[in-house]
Amino acid sequence: MLRHALHRIGLAVPVLFGVLLIGFLLMQVVPTDPATVRAGPQATEDVIAAIRAELGLDQPIYVQFGKYLWRLAHGDLGVSLINNMPVTQELGSTIGPTVELMLAALVWSIPVGIFLGTIAAYWRGSLLDKAVMAVSIAGVSVPVFFLGLVLIWFVGFEWNLLPFTGRGGPLWTLDGLLAIILPAVTLGGVFIGPVARMTRTAVVDTLSAEHVRTARAKGLPEHLVVLRHALRNALIPVVTLIGLQIGFLLGGAVVTETIFSWPGVGRLAVGAILSADFPMAQGTIIVLSAGFILVNLIVDLLYAVLDPRVRQA
Amino acid sequence: MSAAAIPLADQGPRRPSVVRMLMRDTGGAISLVFVVLILLAAVFAPWLAPRDPFDTNLMAIMSPPSEEYWFGTDGQGRDILARMLYGLRVTLGMGFIALIVGGVIGAVIGFLAAFYRRIDGLLMRFMDILLSFPAILFGLALAAIFGPGLTSVIIALSIATVPLMARIVRGSALVVMGLDYIEAARAIGMSDRRLILRHLAPNCLSAIFVFSTLRLGQVILLGSALSFLGLGAQPPMAELGAMAAQGRNFLFIAPHISVIPSLGIFVIVLAFNLLGDALRDALDPRLRI
Amino acid sequence: MLKTWQRATLGGLAGLALALGAQAQTQPRNQITIMREIDSDRYDPHRSTALAGGEVISMMTDTLVNMDFDMRTIQPGLAERWDVSPDGKTYTFHLRTDVTFCDGRPFVADDVVFSINRWIGRTTPRVASPVAWRAGNVKEIRAVDAHTVEYELNEPFGELLAQLSQYFGSIVDRASVERLGDNFGVQGFNGTGPYCWGNWTPRTEMVLNRHPTYHWGPASLQNRGPANVERIVWRVIPEAAARVAALQAGQADITQYIPEAFWDAMRRVPTIRTSTQPNYFWDVFLGFKVDKPVVSDVAIRRAVHMAVDRVGLARAVWSGHALPARNIINPAALDYDAQSDAMVPAYDPAAARRLLDEAGWRMGPDGVRVKDGQRATFLLYAINNLSNQRSSEIVQQGLRQVGIEMRVQLFDATVGWGRLATQEFDAYILSYPYISATDAMSLYWHSRNRPSPNRMNWNDPETDAWLEEARRGTDPARRAEVTALIQRRLAEQAPWLTLARNELRIFSTPRVEGVRAHGLYGIGIYKGLDLRVVR
Repeated sequence: MLRHALHRIGLAVPVLFGVLLIGFLLMQVVPTDPATVRAGPQATEDVIAAIRAELGLDQPIYVQFGKYLWRLAHGDLGVSLINNMPVTQELGSTIGPTVELMLAALVWSIPVGIFLGTIAAYWRGSLLDKAVMAVSIAGVSVPVFFLGLVLIWFVGFEWNLLPFTGRGGPLWTLDGLLAIILPAVTLGGVFIGPVARMTRTAVVDTLSAEHVRTARAKGLPEHLVVLRHALRNALIPVVTLIGLQIGFLLGGAVVTETIFSWPGVGRLAVGAILSADFPMAQGTIIVLSAGFILVNLIVDLLYAVLDPRVRQA
Repeated sequence: MSAAAIPLADQGPRRPSVVRMLMRDTGGAISLVFVVLILLAAVFAPWLAPRDPFDTNLMAIMSPPSEEYWFGTDGQGRDILARMLYGLRVTLGMGFIALIVGGVIGAVIGFLAAFYRRIDGLLMRFMDILLSFPAILFGLALAAIFGPGLTSVIIALSIATVPLMARIVRGSALVVMGLDYIEAARAIGMSDRRLILRHLAPNCLSAIFVFSTLRLGQVILLGSALSFLGLGAQPPMAELGAMAAQGRNFLFIAPHISVIPSLGIFVIVLAFNLLGDALRDALDPRLRI
Repeated sequence: MLKTWQRATLGGLAGLALALGAQAQTQPRNQITIMREIDSDRYDPHRSTALAGGEVISMMTDTLVNMDFDMRTIQPGLAERWDVSPDGKTYTFHLRTDVTFCDGRPFVADDVVFSINRWIGRTTPRVASPVAWRAGNVKEIRAVDAHTVEYELNEPFGELLAQLSQYFGSIVDRASVERLGDNFGVQGFNGTGPYCWGNWTPRTEMVLNRHPTYHWGPASLQNRGPANVERIVWRVIPEAAARVAALQAGQADITQYIPEAFWDAMRRVPTIRTSTQPNYFWDVFLGFKVDKPVVSDVAIRRAVHMAVDRVGLARAVWSGHALPARNIINPAALDYDAQSDAMVPAYDPAAARRLLDEAGWRMGPDGVRVKDGQRATFLLYAINNLSNQRSSEIVQQGLRQVGIEMRVQLFDATVGWGRLATQEFDAYILSYPYISATDAMSLYWHSRNRPSPNRMNWNDPETDAWLEEARRGTDPARRAEVTALIQRRLAEQAPWLTLARNELRIFSTPRVEGVRAHGLYGIGIYKGLDLRVVR
């Protein structure tokens, strides 16, 4: 177990270093000189030079990289070229909404997906199975923005039932709760497909496994066989696979945040890239990558805890 | 995910036609017809399009679908049907280029890893690292570096395809490597290169084919999402995701402008996904992709 | 189109929303939410020129004088009266004595001296306002006593008071500027306006709180005391459709950022009110760099005028809610010259083709004309927004019909302004507000203003001389005469194609009253002092 954990963490370290390096290189290869952008269109040569010195852009590249790591270790990601705000400050205020949105999407789509996958597996080959599989494949094929636009159009606009213009406040308030429904439905909607599909495969596998057959032979009621034996064992790979699909979810979150004006990291990232705000873009990409690596690592370790076979591997 | 491939009949001449196998399955047949239609529409767009995709009719701004304009017109009075036909070329072209570039690199890495066990660990570790990043992050990072545009999107999608293809190919190749006749071929002194090209590669084709079909759908979905965000195709280029994004502003007065192109993406991706599933069932039921 | 499960989900949600009994978000009674499309990069009157900055800054500050709704009458502001010396060079402002900043400190003459000097780049650290020229050719600004300021110019400037009424002339607190340094207008602010800096979440919202002791509002507004509402929330909602829906659902109260395409639909909504301003001068134009190949040819520039259907454009891009334009100046603006209007080439593609043929531009095999081995192609830059996207594509198509190729490159606003200051492009689309012919033309056509804002690189000694005479503006008749001369010159030389004149329309819900479109520098809600919640 410990060896496995160390191995996974060992793998995460170079990945993280890679992220930081890429983040640093991002600032090196951008065609626009950050000092010029920062100085504004009216700036003179000496102003730009002063800003270059202030930003440390006139030093050798390895010194810059060292300084960059040092600043990073102290939670300093620089300041936005656009509004001079510390990048960490903006990130701090946007991470919460993103996590909130992703959790809200997962909290309903995972149970629904697992339920659909299980019934499809149980009545394998039936019309129900086919219907679930059709929904699931539609789910992985539908563009997130299509789902979001349709929901905005009908639920938000035509029927005027729910807000769709950003975060309404903390989740424990009614406004906050109402505001998150449509984005969470959109994001979760595209996540049901993969979850149902993975659950179905896993449950089908376990239904034919030895211990399930034994349980059946012992005369256990069918729903208990499915719930206690098949689904429970199937959950382990499903949980892992869900962990691996977080990347897919992240892609959806960026789009969902944009169409629902959700003040999250994804929207911040897109805005920063479009406005060539490199420190901000760099910060968002580093945070998104690091978050993603962390989630994967946790899922991985969780998997090892749940499934004894992995520990030996 | 373990990928296990059954080799297709060893160079056997009596392999049942893939198309015939697909046609036996209703879903497969329908999706195949759809995919063929989509490809034909893209190829023959200039002949099929009822009018110039850039022609602006200032007297028909945001017209809903009608007899004259089957899919209506957009905010500049351009024919949405014509733009979608041309947009299909951009969208599919983006998908195919990314798939081919990323797929070829990934396949080469996969074969090398399977064949030369010494570098396997190193190569696959590197693939694992690439795999730790969601494709959307490549998209964001490349758009940040090179600026928004179709090129950035294609590079990002290619990079994101490399490790997936490498894994699939390596898995399939390892199964084939364990087979007797490879040993035999090795024994008679066949060169590595010949061995890979003549025996290994053909036997991994089904896995590559199935994966590519499914991946194409994902690549298109992702590419159009990036275009939708403004990081991909730039106006006035007709690209389905970008068209949906432009129309989004008029969602409540002229929903067709964004809904029809979005629906188009949905249909394309669905067709490729269904075809991929059917191909897998037909070629390689044990393949898990 | 909806899949079964989606329908089920929708139904379930509908039930949930109804069960919670919440049709829409309700706002606190003492708060008004104003929506807009973009945020400003900062809120510093002396560094920003953006409308997104100005609309908030004008609520947080006051100016020496105020502009009435007719866009001509100057009213007292922080200065209760003023005298002008006979030579028109020295203005003496007598300031109000009862004004305080948001932090409670009394307002004195020194604040005026500091703020205006900061605007024109005479403070340290130096702030470079791109519109410093609007303050006139300043010799010196002096505090005579605590409540008297002398504003001395090197040469008379007829429009000084109008310029001082714009938000760039906002008076700010020196101590706050020095304390916050680069972060002034980012982390905090201190002005004398009816509202005070509350909390800014960039690209999301800006919260302003009432200035409780405020009682020096402009005479053109009704409210003589402090603001009626505790809080103004400026909310950024980038999606036009979302703004429309939010207004209809009552999630926000006011906005001037509804695309014209929605206007007719909005008029049919009984719960939405509108306020318009006929004296609104905001033009969208396409300017040429007259010293660049291809577009340096006046025949090409005139042909472009003839190839672009401005009436169709106004109908298409602005849904008919924009004035199709010809001359460079709005007919309602001071010193508009009707005669030059007729001199601007009208839409006539056939005439454009003829003109190009005569000028030696022969049709090439790829549909683009050629002259002396030079293809009739030029590069256009513009800020990436919906109307620029649409109008550039329509112009592009119109030009293609006559054999001119226009390549388009759009930039996000934050990058775009920098790119528009370069010489990389041949033509550009931009829009701008102005108050009179002199104001509009001083901005763009004086050779001193090259390369930006005179991006046309217009360099004509006669234009310069006429402009300087107009700016001195001592005799209105002479001013009208020389500005007419400039308008005619520009009509002839066609370096600028006015695409449309925008209308200002503010939409609001019945929950609020006191919404009246002002429109100085595009700012719809001037100070927001009259705004109040009625239900």
